[in-house]
This record gives sequence, C-alpha cells and structure tokens, in this order.
Amino acid sequence: MKRTMNLLIALVMVIVLIGGCAKTVESEETTAKDETNDEAVVSTDKEEPAETADPVTIKFFTGKVETVDLMNDLIDKFNAANPGIIVQQEFQKDASNVIKVKFASGDVPDITTVVTQDYIDQGKYLDLTNEVWWDRIDPAIRDLCTDVKTGNQYRVASNMTMAGLYYNKEIFEDLGLGEATTWAEFENDLTKIKDNYSDVAPFFMGGKDSWMLGHLIEFMAHGVIKQELGIKESKIALLANDDSKIHLGDVGGPMESFAAAILSTRDKGLFNSDFLTATYDNQIEAFAMGKAAVISQGMWALGGILEMNPEMTGNIGFMPYPSIKEGTKPVILSAEDSAYAITTDSEHPAEAKKFLDYLFEVNNMVTYSEFVKSPSAFTDVSADWGPLKDEVAHALAAGIHIGFTNESPSGFSGDDAGRMVQELYVGEYESSEAFAKAYKETWDKAWNASNN
Amino acid sequence: MKQFSYKIIRLVIIVSIALMALFPFYVLAILALTPSSVNFSEKLILLPRLYFDNFFEAWKISNIGQAIMNSLIITVGAVILVVVFGSMAGYAVARVKNKINNAMFLIMLGCMMIPGIINTVPLYTLMISIGGINTHWAMIMVLATNAMPFSVFLYSGFIKGLPITIEEAAIIDGCSKIGAYFRVVFPLLKPVTSAVIIINGLSIWNNYAQSVFFLQQQSMKTIPLAISMFFQQYGAKWHLMAAASMIGLAPAVLTFIIFQKYFIKGITAGSVKG
Amino acid sequence: MLLKNRIISKLHYYMIVPAFLLFTIFFIYPLLRGIGLSLTDYDGMTKANFVGLDNFIEFFNDKRALNDMKTTMLFALGSAPLLNIFGFLYALLLDRKFIGKSVIRTIIYLPAVISPLIMGYIWYFILQPQRGFVYSIIESVSSNAVEFNWLGNSTMALWVIIIVNVWQFVGMTMVIYLAGLQAIPEELHEAGKIDGATYLQSIRYITLPMMIQPIKINVITNIIGSLAVFDIIIALTDGGPGYSTESLSIYIMRKCYGSFTGYSTAVAIILFFIVLIPVIISFKYLNSKNVEM
Repeated sequence: MKRTMNLLIALVMVIVLIGGCAKTVESEETTAKDETNDEAVVSTDKEEPAETADPVTIKFFTGKVETVDLMNDLIDKFNAANPGIIVQQEFQKDASNVIKVKFASGDVPDITTVVTQDYIDQGKYLDLTNEVWWDRIDPAIRDLCTDVKTGNQYRVASNMTMAGLYYNKEIFEDLGLGEATTWAEFENDLTKIKDNYSDVAPFFMGGKDSWMLGHLIEFMAHGVIKQELGIKESKIALLANDDSKIHLGDVGGPMESFAAAILSTRDKGLFNSDFLTATYDNQIEAFAMGKAAVISQGMWALGGILEMNPEMTGNIGFMPYPSIKEGTKPVILSAEDSAYAITTDSEHPAEAKKFLDYLFEVNNMVTYSEFVKSPSAFTDVSADWGPLKDEVAHALAAGIHIGFTNESPSGFSGDDAGRMVQELYVGEYESSEAFAKAYKETWDKAWNASNN
Repeated sequence: MKQFSYKIIRLVIIVSIALMALFPFYVLAILALTPSSVNFSEKLILLPRLYFDNFFEAWKISNIGQAIMNSLIITVGAVILVVVFGSMAGYAVARVKNKINNAMFLIMLGCMMIPGIINTVPLYTLMISIGGINTHWAMIMVLATNAMPFSVFLYSGFIKGLPITIEEAAIIDGCSKIGAYFRVVFPLLKPVTSAVIIINGLSIWNNYAQSVFFLQQQSMKTIPLAISMFFQQYGAKWHLMAAASMIGLAPAVLTFIIFQKYFIKGITAGSVKG
Repeated sequence: MLLKNRIISKLHYYMIVPAFLLFTIFFIYPLLRGIGLSLTDYDGMTKANFVGLDNFIEFFNDKRALNDMKTTMLFALGSAPLLNIFGFLYALLLDRKFIGKSVIRTIIYLPAVISPLIMGYIWYFILQPQRGFVYSIIESVSSNAVEFNWLGNSTMALWVIIIVNVWQFVGMTMVIYLAGLQAIPEELHEAGKIDGATYLQSIRYITLPMMIQPIKINVITNIIGSLAVFDIIIALTDGGPGYSTESLSIYIMRKCYGSFTGYSTAVAIILFFIVLIPVIISFKYLNSKNVEM
C-alpha cells in the first residue's frame, strides 16, 4: 500500500517536473515580455545568427490553406541552408480571428499573411516601405499594398490573383452561350444550361464555407461601390463608413441589388441543390468532373481543379462577374495576393526578413507562382503560371478591376458576411431590402465598436 | 411459448440497438479502408476492400503521432491529479465533517453547474499572465480542475458507504488519521477510482472546447485539435480523415474496452449511494 | 508527542486543500475576474472601460444572441428528455442476465467514448446530400432522393443534431440507469407480482421511486451538458445555415475571438443562469420524490 502511494506521489512529481521543463522550453520560444528575452533580442540583433548557440525560431502564421504544403517544402530547404534559423509554419483556417487571440496572448508570430486595418492602425506591423523588394515589384501592386491612412506599406505581396467566374467551355460552346455582361443575361444562360443538362448544376456555390459567400459580397456587392468611386476613394469611404457614398442600406444600392440577384437565381433553381451544405472541396470536385457549369472562384483554386482532373485544362473559361446594378459594368478581382507582414513585436525581424529574402528569390517565386497558378508581382519573375493565361488576359480586359475588401470593420468579417448570405438563402429576410438594412445595421454596429 | 417469443423480440431489439451504436464506427472503417481514388459518389461498396495505405499517409500528414503524445501526457497528468487530490478531498468531506469542508464541497458542487466555456475567457487572460498558453502543465491543471467536483462527489459518496470500522482498527493500532487514509482506505477505493479514471480520462482525452483556446502551437495540439485541423486542411480527403480519426480514437476505445468491467462497477458504486 | 507526529495527526484536516487550491486558482479566480470583465468593454487589446450592465442589455437586444439562446434551449429540451427516456428503456431491456450482456453494454456505450467533434464529422459525411452515405442508399432505392438536404434546413438541422447527440450519449445514461435497476431488490418486484401488478404498474410504483438517485444524476448532467453544447454543432453545421443552429457556447467563443471579450464573458454569465434555473428546479422536484428505504 505504502509503495503504491509513494509511486503515485513520485509519478505526480515527475509529471510536474516534465511539465515544468516543457514550460521553460516554451517560454524560451514564446515572445513573453520579460527580461531574459529582452537580452536575447539585443544579442541576436547584433550578432550573426550563426554565432548564437540557440537557433532562432521564426513563426510564420498563415490562413492560406492551398499553400501550406508548398511553403513547408520551401521552409525545409531554408532551414537546412540556415542552421541558425528555424522557420515554423502554423496554419489556421480561421486565421483572421485566431490572430487576435495570438496578439492578445503574446504568442505573436514573426511573419504573417493576416493583415487587418485595425492592427495596422495600432502599429502591429513593421513599416516595410523602404525594403529593397519593392525595386523588383510591379508599382501597381505596390499601390494595392499601400495603407491609405499613412501611405506606407506594411505588407509585401508576391503575387497577383484574379477571381471571377470559371465556366465549362464545352457546355457553353455546345449551347452557344457567350459571356453575359448583366445578371439578367447571365440567368438566361444558366437557365439554358439547366434545361439542357439535367445533371449539371448551372451555378455551383459551396455555401457551407461562409468565406466563399463572403467573397461574393466583396466582389459583386462591394464591386459596385468600388467601380463607382474608384479604388482609392472607395477604400476611404468604406473606412469612414461614409453612407452618402456607399449607400449600404439603400434600395438600389449595392447590398440590395446583390440580395435581389441571389434571391432571383435561387428562385429560378439555378444554384446547386445542396447550396447550403456544399463545401469548397465539393465545388472544386464538381467543376473538375463537369458536374458544375459555372463557379465563382479565384486563381487559387485552379491547382486543385487540375489536380483532380488534368483533362480540364483546355476546357476552363474565365469571365468577370456580370453587373448586378443598372449602369454598372462587369467586375473582376485583380488584386494582390500572398502578402506577408512582419510584426513589430517580433524579436527577430532580421531573421524574418532573411526568410522573406529567400522566399522572394527568383527561382522560388517561379516555383510558387506556378504552383498557385497566378502571376508573380516581381517583374523579374517569368513563370509559366498557368494554362489560363489567355483566358485571364481576356477577362481582365472585359471587366473593371477591383480588389479585396480590406476595409470591413473588425467585428464584421467576411465569414460573418457569408453567414448573412446563408440566412438570405434560407429565407430569413423577407426581401432584398430587408437584407440590405440588416447588413447596414451589422456593419454600423461593428464599425462603431472599433471606432468609438 | 409466449415467453419464448418475448425473448426473441427482446433479443432482436437489443441487437438492433447494438448495431445502431456500431454504425458510425462501421462507416468510419469503410472510409478508412478504401483507397482515395474510389469516389464515394459511386455506389458505396458495403464490404470494404482492405487498403491500409491511408493509415500510413494519414499518420505522416496529420502528425497524429505527436498529437497522441500530447493527448497522452495531458490525460495521464490530469487523471493523476484528479485521483490523488480528488480522493483526498472526498475523504475529507466524508469523514472529517466540519463547516469549512462542507462549505468547500458545496462550492465545488455548485460550480459543477457552470459550463466550462464560462470561465474560459478570463482563464485565458490568467493563462497569459502565468505563461501557460501552449504548455502541457497548464492544460493539465485546467482540465484537472474541471474534472475535480464530479470526482470529489463520487469519492465522497463511495467513502461514506464504507464501514468506518476498518479505519478505526487502524487508528487503534497507532496510525494517524491521514495514515489510515493512505494505508487502508485508498486501496479500497479501486472501483470508484477506475470509474473516475475512465470518465474523466475520456472526457479529457476528447477535450476540444478548452484545448482549442490554450493549445494553438502545432507541436502542442492534442488529438481532437489535430483531427479538426486535418479536416480544415484536407476537407475533401475523407479517406485520409477517416484513417486519422481511427488512429486517434483507437487508444480511447481500446482502453475503454479493456477496463469496462471496473468502470461499470465504479459507476454502480458511485451513482447508487451518495 | 513528537512535533512530527503532532503535525501528521492533524494533517487530515487539510486533505481537501490541494483539490480546493487547484480549484480556486483555475476556476474560482477566473470566474470572479470574468464577472468583473463582464462589466467592461474589454476587447483583448486596448484598455478596459467600465460599462456597467451595458453588455447584458446588449445581449437582450441582439437578435442573433436571442436566437442562439432559443436554439440552445430547444436543443436541451430535445436532448435531455430523449436521452433519459431511451436510456431508461434500454436499461429495462438489458436488465436480465444473458450471454454477451457486458459486450452489448459496452457496444452501446462505445459512441460516448468518441469525441463529439469526430462523431459530428462522421455524421456530416453520412448525411451529406449528393455524396453522403445515406444519400447513396436512398438513391439506390428510390429516385426521389434529390430533395434531401437535412443539414441545410434550419429546423431539420437542429433535429439532426439532437438525434446525433442522443445517439452518442444514450449509452452513458443507460449505464447509470442499469446500475440503479440492479440495486432494486428482487423481492419488491415479486411482492408486486403477487399483488397482481402488471409490468407497467410495477415500473411506475416500484422501479421509478427507487431510481430517484440515478434519475437525479442523469437529468442534471444531461441538462448541464446539453446547454453547453459546442463540439457537435461545429462539426455538423458550423452553426449554420447562417446562425440558425449556433449555440450560446459557440456564440461566446466567436465573440471572444472577435474582440468582444468583455461582452462574451457577460453572455457566459447569462448562460450560467440559464443552466442554474432548470437544474435547481429539477433538483428540488426530484428531492421531493425521494423515497426512504
């Protein structure tokens, strides 16, 4: 009896000790604000990384699921070539929310792809305006990375991406369909597809993944604002919640037109029947297998589609989003992608920059661009980034260029917006006006919370 | 005759219930044992072809080996804390009856009604200030704390049902009261200890709502977190997911099957008395 | 007496201290801070300002929050009774000696061993329209399968979640009821039979009154557990479509992540009261039915 008791006590002590040792290891790596770490910062800044005894850990936090594996490969090569530095990638699907927790807890990543206006305003990211990378980057991209409030760049984008409507060329040619410029035309085309191809979903959306629906809002609904005001003005108006310019709650405004379009398409049965439970992966699969005629996606999806069915290569068409409001034109997303920021709380900015230097090397950028199938922002990188080069060029010429909406208030994410679209689809709102009003209400509430 | 047909009906019902319970495992197994190339939009084959490669691939990609280690460390650590501290507290409540002990017991019981999520948020700020995020030891303490009230309850109920004569005999023989506890009472607590170990062990092993807050680093993730991340990352690859889940579930399921006899005895003891 | 012996002989007074100490640090202290936080507008980053009861008032003005409260309560109202009814029925069925009894008992309990999150994912796969398991079966049997999308319909989705939850945990309830049934002396039932009681009557007048303790344990644990439901909803519907199946726990987590830390703590306190009231009611009611041996 005594022995078992002693054994148990010993076990408890061992566990606590192990736990304690684990703790000391963790606290060496985490960026807690205490003196020992301050000393470490000073010494690594002054010395070459190779000279310090402990390797420097760089935490890279990303929300981009498609690039996780590729980045890990690149990271492994970097780590091997730089023995004093260890880069670790962490992926979270809900990255834009998780990063708030990270900042609050002191578990701050060194490099991240998640950049929000709130945090820029609070000075959480290093000012990268004077980095050498910009010399090799297309000035138009540099513009897109510029913070409208300060005129500085807090993030560097390595690629451009486009988003619009992918369509199955075969089906379109078979039915003699062109590229619709208005939503009404578009619905007509979809109806023809529905009538002639009974087991193909005319317009397939993965409604369970609210971010996808959030994108529809960013591109189609906000697209109205962005083209009417111009890119820079629209950013300013959105940030200031200037209702006289953005008209969020109005009939005939962007949100109402958007809701009306969605409701109309739904009522005509032109969406996939499992709109609410289908996911991004379902959508990609459906399109790759020819079971979906049109999908709304970005270039980031191309890799997945072709991996599933390489024969789709010649069969993918790409067109801008038809306009949803009288007097507006089709829009296409042409924006910066794969942007990286370094946090001010990072204790190893030099090493972080070294990693970015490595990442931005020409051959790595070629590999990256070809993988994500989108053009590089670097002028000296010519990658064969994809079979859709022609289609994309054509679509870019056919639509007004708009960017992502980075100006949403921090309590109202793309995910939240997407959920409102789910509610819209289910019939929670009696009319498209009701949707517009609810959207404005939610936007205002979130905006007031972060701007009081 | 009537008796006989009742028996048959009862048997059929019982077997159907059991089959229903096994259904999810069955689906999981089919998924895990079919190669990814088989699209499940084809008619599902009810007899799986035995294809074990999924397990190897899933193991590699999901890093579930590390997750198992994390889950193991945390679960074992927390369970030990719960058993040692909980049994001592249960003894105190059952045998050393004074106002303070009663008060503490009632407080803990009352707090049992507070769902874990409630103090997760302020606990988070606490964890930050003691540097407990992404650590094993902090997670162990948090989960042990959550499991404590129910375990103390089970222990106290059981101990109350033990005849006090054995302890009195030990004291007459010269033992201190606390010595009496360790030498005499604790060994008798085996049934309830096994129940406590299994109930709490399982819920700690499967814990998601707290772990998702406090264990964010890849290297620290436990099994539920690893699988959910896997789901987010490879949402389409159901076969790999099923394989990873099976690997993750296996320890819990096996442990339960092996120890279920003790578990049942313990539940019986704890829930009928007290 | 030696000092050492004197200390040891008094040690037993402190036996509750380790447990309680742990509990105080990791539960009571955060709880008190939480109550404090709920009166502020803390967002996890900037300074916290005292706002009094604003958070609570805002909760009752937020359509989504009220809806979540309704969803959570509906879930509990659906789950808890079903869990107890089926658990009890199954226990009655299994309360004989027969070969393989412990095997069957283990099998029925087994789903409860899996994390609800994983169980949710499994069921999500099973129920997916177009590609799920159930769909394949329905498709091979009838040709009207196209309109089936239970998880995409707000009301159906909640029922699905309830059923999956009951499915998973009915074993747990059953085991506790079985333990209670076994504790009833056989003589009571025999006496009843002699007096001419039917099976149903013997259940009502003999079995049930003796089962107050297990009923108490089950009902209370089920109420607490159902009102805090989290994992299984995330896996099955992620709170959707929209927010229609979002539970209060999920709402709290999302608001906390979304920088409304003070607010989410307030909601957590509200949730506590939502749990407290039914528990106290059930407790009192069941206590009043206590039967003395």
